[in-house]
Amino acid sequence: MNRKKGDKGFESPRPYKLTHQVVCINNINFQRKSVVGYVELTIFPTVANLNRIKLNSKQCRIYRVRVNDLEAAFIYNDPTLEVCHHESKQRNLNYFSNAYAAAVSAVDPDAGNGELCIKVPSELWKHVDELKVLKVHINFSLDQPKGGLHFVVPNMEGSMAERGAHVFSCGYQNSTRFWFPCVDSHSELCTWKLEYTVDAAMVAVSNGDLVETVYTHDMRKKTFHYMLTIPTAASNISLAIGPFEILVDPYMHEVTHFCLPQLLPLLKHTTSYLHEVFEFYEEILTCRYPYSCFKTVFIDEAYVEVAAYASMSIFSTNLLHSAMIIDETPLTRRCLAQALAQQFFGCFISRMSWSDEWVLKGISGYIYGLWMKKTFGVNEYRHWIKQELDQIVAYELKTGGVLLHPIFGGGKEKDNPASHLHFSIKHPHTLSWEYYTMFQCKAHLVMRLIENRISMEFMLQVFNKLLSLASTASSQKFQSHMWSQMLVSTSGFLKSISNVSGKDIQPLIKQWVDQSGVVKFYGSFAFNRKRNVLELEIKQDYTSPGTQKYVGPLKVTVQELDGSFNHTLQIEENSLKHDIPCHSKSRRNKKKKIPLMNGEEVDMDLSAMDADSPLLWIRIDPDMSVLRKVEFEQSDFMWQYQLRYERDVVAQEEAILALEKFPTPASRLALTDILEQEQCFYRVRMLACFCLAKIANSMVSTWTGPPAMKSLFTRMFCCKTCPNIVKTNNFMNFQSYFLQKTMPVAMALLRDVHNLCPKEVLMFILDLIKYNDNRKNKFSDNYYRAELIDALANSVTPAVSVNNEVRTLDNLNPDVRLILEEITRFLNMEKLLPSYRHTITVSCLKAIRVLQKNGHVPSDPALFKSYAEYGHFIDVRIAALEAVVDYTKVDRSYEELQWLLTMVQNDPVPYIRHKILDMLTKNPPFTKNMESPLCNEALVDQLWKLMNSGTSHDWRLRCGAVDLYFTLFGLSRPSCLPLPELGLVLNLKEKKAVLNPTIIPESVANNQEPVNSTNNHGQSVGFQNTFSNSQEEEEIDMDTVHDSQAFIYHHLNMLERPSTPGKEQSSGEMNMHPVSAAPLSVFSKESNSSKHSDHHHHHHHEHKKKKKKHKHKHKHKHKHDSKEKEKDPFAFSNSPASARSIRSPSLSD
Amino acid sequence: MADTASAGSGTRSGSKHASTPADNYYLARRRTLQVVVSSLLTEAGFESAEKAAVETLTEMLQSYISEIGRSAKSYCEHTARTQPTLSDIVVTLVEMGFNVETLPAYAKRSQRMVITAPPVTNQPVTPKALTAGQNKPHPPHIPGHFPEFPDPHTYIKTPTYREPVSDYQVLREKAASQRRDVERALTRFMAKTGETQSLFKDDVSTFPLIAARPFTVPYLTALLPSELEMQQMEETDSSEQDDQTDTENLPLHMSTDDSGPEKENASVLQQNTSLSGSRNGEENVIDNPYLRPVKKPKIRRKK
Repeated sequence: MNRKKGDKGFESPRPYKLTHQVVCINNINFQRKSVVGYVELTIFPTVANLNRIKLNSKQCRIYRVRVNDLEAAFIYNDPTLEVCHHESKQRNLNYFSNAYAAAVSAVDPDAGNGELCIKVPSELWKHVDELKVLKVHINFSLDQPKGGLHFVVPNMEGSMAERGAHVFSCGYQNSTRFWFPCVDSHSELCTWKLEYTVDAAMVAVSNGDLVETVYTHDMRKKTFHYMLTIPTAASNISLAIGPFEILVDPYMHEVTHFCLPQLLPLLKHTTSYLHEVFEFYEEILTCRYPYSCFKTVFIDEAYVEVAAYASMSIFSTNLLHSAMIIDETPLTRRCLAQALAQQFFGCFISRMSWSDEWVLKGISGYIYGLWMKKTFGVNEYRHWIKQELDQIVAYELKTGGVLLHPIFGGGKEKDNPASHLHFSIKHPHTLSWEYYTMFQCKAHLVMRLIENRISMEFMLQVFNKLLSLASTASSQKFQSHMWSQMLVSTSGFLKSISNVSGKDIQPLIKQWVDQSGVVKFYGSFAFNRKRNVLELEIKQDYTSPGTQKYVGPLKVTVQELDGSFNHTLQIEENSLKHDIPCHSKSRRNKKKKIPLMNGEEVDMDLSAMDADSPLLWIRIDPDMSVLRKVEFEQSDFMWQYQLRYERDVVAQEEAILALEKFPTPASRLALTDILEQEQCFYRVRMLACFCLAKIANSMVSTWTGPPAMKSLFTRMFCCKTCPNIVKTNNFMNFQSYFLQKTMPVAMALLRDVHNLCPKEVLMFILDLIKYNDNRKNKFSDNYYRAELIDALANSVTPAVSVNNEVRTLDNLNPDVRLILEEITRFLNMEKLLPSYRHTITVSCLKAIRVLQKNGHVPSDPALFKSYAEYGHFIDVRIAALEAVVDYTKVDRSYEELQWLLTMVQNDPVPYIRHKILDMLTKNPPFTKNMESPLCNEALVDQLWKLMNSGTSHDWRLRCGAVDLYFTLFGLSRPSCLPLPELGLVLNLKEKKAVLNPTIIPESVANNQEPVNSTNNHGQSVGFQNTFSNSQEEEEIDMDTVHDSQAFIYHHLNMLERPSTPGKEQSSGEMNMHPVSAAPLSVFSKESNSSKHSDHHHHHHHEHKKKKKKHKHKHKHKHKHDSKEKEKDPFAFSNSPASARSIRSPSLSD
Repeated sequence: MADTASAGSGTRSGSKHASTPADNYYLARRRTLQVVVSSLLTEAGFESAEKAAVETLTEMLQSYISEIGRSAKSYCEHTARTQPTLSDIVVTLVEMGFNVETLPAYAKRSQRMVITAPPVTNQPVTPKALTAGQNKPHPPHIPGHFPEFPDPHTYIKTPTYREPVSDYQVLREKAASQRRDVERALTRFMAKTGETQSLFKDDVSTFPLIAARPFTVPYLTALLPSELEMQQMEETDSSEQDDQTDTENLPLHMSTDDSGPEKENASVLQQNTSLSGSRNGEENVIDNPYLRPVKKPKIRRKK
């Protein structure tokens, strides 16, 4: 290892350096969904006594391993297959999360570990000692992969190419190990040679340059040869094979687009914009696109909408659209731009370790933001920043913080920086998906904060520096030690910033990167007329979870009669009050125009103002230069002035939200004026619609004139001669298109004094549907019609039910009958003339669920279940599933919950599986503090099994299951379970044994709460606290016990030792034990040892039974255990992948 | 004057019955004759006359004039002419025992009354035969004096028009209800003939939903525009010219309008190509590895 470089250099956790890898897949069978191939890794030992090589591999069946053409013994051990042992009765999530983090650690390539351990043949030891090259050749196959590679094979007649069958790699973070053995780390870079032999009608798209395509001898297949000469991490390797249509970009010939058959026209339109994104990034980064080519592939059943890999990106085919579609266009362009940003930062430049991930996500997100600003304008950009800020703030306040740069000292549980979370943030694979999304969001916001501090120019210089360093390093073909320059680290990035800008941003980093939490400000003010001073009070809440204390500068903008003034306040420990002198001394001069921040001078009607004060409005942190939430109090007229005259869209949106609390005619007028103003940003106007509806409802008794927005809509969109008829659609002006879509939806939220939707509004919406005419329109009206159905759904109010009568057609409300008529017609028409992305079906399904929920239509999940089946368009399925999830919650249906969970296990589409768990978590059938008939032992076992072993093929899914388990049962043992038999629990990090915290209340004399409530107590305080409270009484001082070491050791093994292949296992879906089928010399040894381990487990089980009887005799028993283990050849001596070697980070010691 | 008035009233009553143009013509003549008779009577010194007497005298005058005409026509035809000449009239008068010599003197008598010329009644227009479409002009080989072709509807086709409804509101109303009816009928038919789902367990016919049917390739129907939309696109493309002005006014906040940048680039490309001819050559041959031909395998050396 290169120690000379000091802290700047990268220290590999591995005792070798990988320089080149060959991946050859010579057979792909779509019918059987199998893959056969080999890999060859070229590695240079960096230590003399390298005798074991650890690689990552999951799912793969490994046939043969050769090192420099010599057969090598190997062992395959994957502890993540089954996180907690089968026979364990533990059901608390804390235990699981720790075990899962330990299991992931045990195979973490960034710690030098791996599932596959290859023993270097003794003949080569001398060779190794001379640090000479080793070539590791591994033959493997993959049969019906459940993750990593996804096969899409439509069930119809014809050849695979005619059917549009395709396969592509997918996964969350580093998931390449799922489809070929590799060092699945972002920090191990090497060059690549990739070969794929596929059917002659298919195309294989992969990373790097396509060197040549050669037919096989029978001319029925062809081989695609790819070379990737830029050192790349295995995690950035990808593959897509299918009968793709090929489109060479007309502007950039080195860019090629691929889509599934029949979609070429859509592909042409969709990608026609991409070259502009290229130009933009290359210009701001003053750096050419690093790879010699770029490929975009659009595939069905995508894992994520956008996945970026070295020199190629895999997109969901659902992003494709024709020129007639308005709404999808900006969304798709955003996806394209995101993917391209990640090509520079994420693919070309990789990261040193997981804790540096935020730099990559931050930079790519930040330059994507710059692209947004340029493409969609400053308003859209600021709106987006505000949206992201609100999201991260809400998430952090809810869950207790997102930490960008976690540092793990010593690995002790106490130092865990994220003890408030129910999962470990040590590894990307243990992370909740939502957390990761928010993590990315925070990362780019923090980049923006850095930009605010050092200026954009310096920022771009830093990026340019990183890129040029990396491209110099990448061209050093034979100096692989240089390649670490292509890895970015937090410290390297910060050093670069301080070199370029000369500014110290350490406080900023400390606040937002090294620390989690956001700032919560409460502001209020008083105007002191005598002193002509604004007395501003800014309080902070830094005690709630997810918050932190802010100390430093804070910008406040005050709009006075004489103009707008910025003040920078120093927020310090104890100062709450800030005096800001006002500029405007004189009483207003009626004729005078009022200057705004942007230099504009406007006339205002100042009659609403407080006569004594020159203040129009005040804004705290207008530039969003703190990750914060501001709750600011100012009077309604100030909000109204802010809405009307402040030019910043964020300020306008804030004012609209604030005005909800002031239902007065003045607010109404301000909102209506904004709605009518064409220069105003369309999103602000859309927001104003909803606020106006809310205000109208609050003012229902004093409201005069027609329903809110009706006359406005009539004026804007209806015919001059016949105001009840809407004009034929013309969506050329997008702003008014969006407004036209939104207004009816907002209007449908209006309620009269009986809390019903006014008849007039309903008839108005029905008329819009009736007279809708799109024949002369250049654009499709599918989104508009879908929103009209949404509007119908919004108008529905709960049915008046007379003593729970059964819902039948006869007692159907006449208004609902009209609505149902429309929905039926729309839904049926969709079968004949389907709309783009079936938006109308989606809206209809949602509306039907609303009718069911409000008691107009009998509640029944059958319809939704039929739409949720595989074979429907994904948006439709998700809408249907959402309805089923909701039904499960409202009707507490065990049957439906089971149906959903079955789908989580069996559905062919990974995104659907993930989404069901996500929806169940967001809209749970019950939560941990709730009594529910659904909450029973079987469900606990089922979910436990799901996260323990049922989801080992998909990190994201497993984390989703953990999230759901947490939502349903909390961190500790679910309350519906009977008391555990096992009296003792281990605190692994402290290496101490305590009584199981869930049974503490029974045995602890001074704690007399009933069992249920203590469970809750345990949940809210957390396992740790319960533990420390009870420590004094319950702790068994094991240090004095002679056998304590053995005891702990054994239990640690239980936890950390991988679930060995060949162990007894009843779960049918986990039938992949690659090693047990390995046809080589290891096989016999292995099968022996697995028998042993069977035996061992069996014994253990018996002991447990005994344990029940003699709780206090464990001392003896563990002695016995440890003795037995010493006898066990598998656990310690013979097997190369013994528990000991897995626990130690490196083999070289 | 009184009798003229009475005569006038008589004709008025007669005109009530008269409806055909021939009757009208006859009545107008009668009235002129009556005026003549009345003026002659006045000239002769009568102050008033009974209606019956005037009628009788009118009848006599009419008969006399008719006889002159009839005879004159006979004489003229007798000499093989079609148009009577003055001599024919003279002969006729002589034949009827009228002394022709007295006529100029009588005409120039001093006390004669001048009768205003009877109002010129328009020649009753014969109602046009139904004309539909334009008559075909003669083809060159038919001389111009030949009769024109008859109306095309008599020998080609008869187009029928309904008065177009011009009221916008009615039009929209009609279009909307028509479409709605078609859609409803169609979907009901589909629902009746195929599998359905229902929202109400007790009633399956009021709101029949066509059953959801999974697709083998679901993304195709979801992403590709439907035939109707394609058709519409073609139609609107032709009318795009009119909309062009609208696009220009559009604040390009969301530059979804793809034609703009494309056009720009196209023009840039054109400039480039015009600048350098070599570039043009490159353009034609796109070098992309995916477009290259697939190589033949090398022959195995073993064999």
